[in-house]
Amino acid sequence: MSWRNNSKRELWLAWYSMIAFYNIFVIVFFVLTHAQPPPYPYWSDAQVVFWFSHNRGGLLTGFAIMFALAGLTLPANALIAYSIRRMSVSRAFAYSYLVIYSLAALPGMLLLCVVLSVGAMRPDRDPVLIHWLYDFAFLSYVGTMGIFLIGSLVWMLAILLDKNRVLPKWFGYLNLCNALTEVVVSPAWIFHRGVLDWNGLISWWLNMVVFGIYTSAFIMLLRNMIQREDFGDGPLPTHQLAGTAR
Amino acid sequence: MTDNAGEGKRDRAIPGQPDMWVLVLFEALVFTAYFAVYLYHRSADSELFLRSQAQLRPLFGTLDTLLLLTSSLFMLRCAQTARAGAHRTAMTSAYITAFLGVAFLISKITEWIMLVRGGHGFSSNDFFMYYFFLTGIHLLHLLIGFIAIGVIVYQLRGPARRSQELVETCAVYWHTVDLLWVLIFSLLYVVR
Amino acid sequence: MNTQPNRRPLIILLILSAITLGYLALDRSADSQGTFRASSVVTTIAILLALVKVRFIFREFMQVRNAPALLCRLTDLWVLIIGAALLGSYFSGLAVH
Repeated sequence: MSWRNNSKRELWLAWYSMIAFYNIFVIVFFVLTHAQPPPYPYWSDAQVVFWFSHNRGGLLTGFAIMFALAGLTLPANALIAYSIRRMSVSRAFAYSYLVIYSLAALPGMLLLCVVLSVGAMRPDRDPVLIHWLYDFAFLSYVGTMGIFLIGSLVWMLAILLDKNRVLPKWFGYLNLCNALTEVVVSPAWIFHRGVLDWNGLISWWLNMVVFGIYTSAFIMLLRNMIQREDFGDGPLPTHQLAGTAR
Repeated sequence: MTDNAGEGKRDRAIPGQPDMWVLVLFEALVFTAYFAVYLYHRSADSELFLRSQAQLRPLFGTLDTLLLLTSSLFMLRCAQTARAGAHRTAMTSAYITAFLGVAFLISKITEWIMLVRGGHGFSSNDFFMYYFFLTGIHLLHLLIGFIAIGVIVYQLRGPARRSQELVETCAVYWHTVDLLWVLIFSLLYVVR
Repeated sequence: MNTQPNRRPLIILLILSAITLGYLALDRSADSQGTFRASSVVTTIAILLALVKVRFIFREFMQVRNAPALLCRLTDLWVLIIGAALLGSYFSGLAVH
């Protein structure tokens, strides 16, 4: 079926953008900049300065890419909001989600990118200042989880109340698990070492496992939703009908 | 086996929504991971952990466990009587469950206050970090449990509603709160 | 009316409560005059008893007993997984530290 006539092409574009975004995110944060997994909160000034200088190239390049492509979060959030709009619940859910997650990117990702780039930009800055930027970046990234928490709860509530079977109820409950990880990460404000610091076994590593499962689930489920979409107002068909997938 | 006699020839059905079981099993694994981290690190400084553990009051923990176990009994009664059509009895059972849950909440907060007043806070040492973290995240699950009871009461109130599946789904969640506490109690208060 | 099945949950609750109170005796036997001592035996028993309670809660309170075989086996598997994880992490912690 030609793309020009495909009624679902925008949905597929959004979905592929989502895939692209997450891949770019992983490459930038984990490979290029080494901002994830986060380095240690208890490092001394000297160790932090070393980290910045050691990763300088990666930090500046990686985040430059991120700044250019951060807009890919737009279709991703839009697709999720679309899924909520397709549900039988009030449109307020979709709009709330969109607003929350649009704002979330600022402290939840971009702030870290900006601040770490600033830190990397002039290596001869006062080490105390560089350490300050380091703390600011990672705490802002980890600590502003309240927005994601509320967003997850909005999506959860919409799914549980939905009669259109857009997304399965178990994913609604998984949103609760994801929301709870946001709570689990909040002790990072208090602890500078151990399992609950911003790099901790519980606050980061275990949380990432949950987040990874959650993200994989919704990527898969949104794909399934697009395949089943009939552009009506009622319940989505349970199985993808032959010939309407694309 | 006499246990099926009074319940009649019931088809074997999954209690509540299967989806809720996904949550239950998933959360059980997540909590198990927390417990594993705690148990592994406990022996790194067992002297400290034992000394700190001695500050806990086992009677509190025991009481908490008994409260939640009893609340589970009443939650089961709620689901069973709702299925039998005795909605008023079911609602009473739901209220008693909530009451026992509130008693647990008060007991837990009292214990926290006593510990903090005694100079043992969240960041006092590693044991208390785990203690407050585990009991805290559990308490959050309990609070969500109250919402589940609210859903049950709402369902039972209106004759047009009364989805047995929803009642059982919420009941399954409540039992999970109990189940998790049983594990937490043994790991924080009992293990040496 | 056959009241026998209605008493079952109460009996289960009494068993679970007895195990819970049994913990106090377990700890009392391990501690010497208020000083806590590390004990693998106490820890292992405590964990195993907790697993017994968990299984009871699954089967009786969550009504898995009357559920399809798949759920029965799944929850039993979960009890095993939890047990393995708890005992495994405890003993490997002991071995390492």
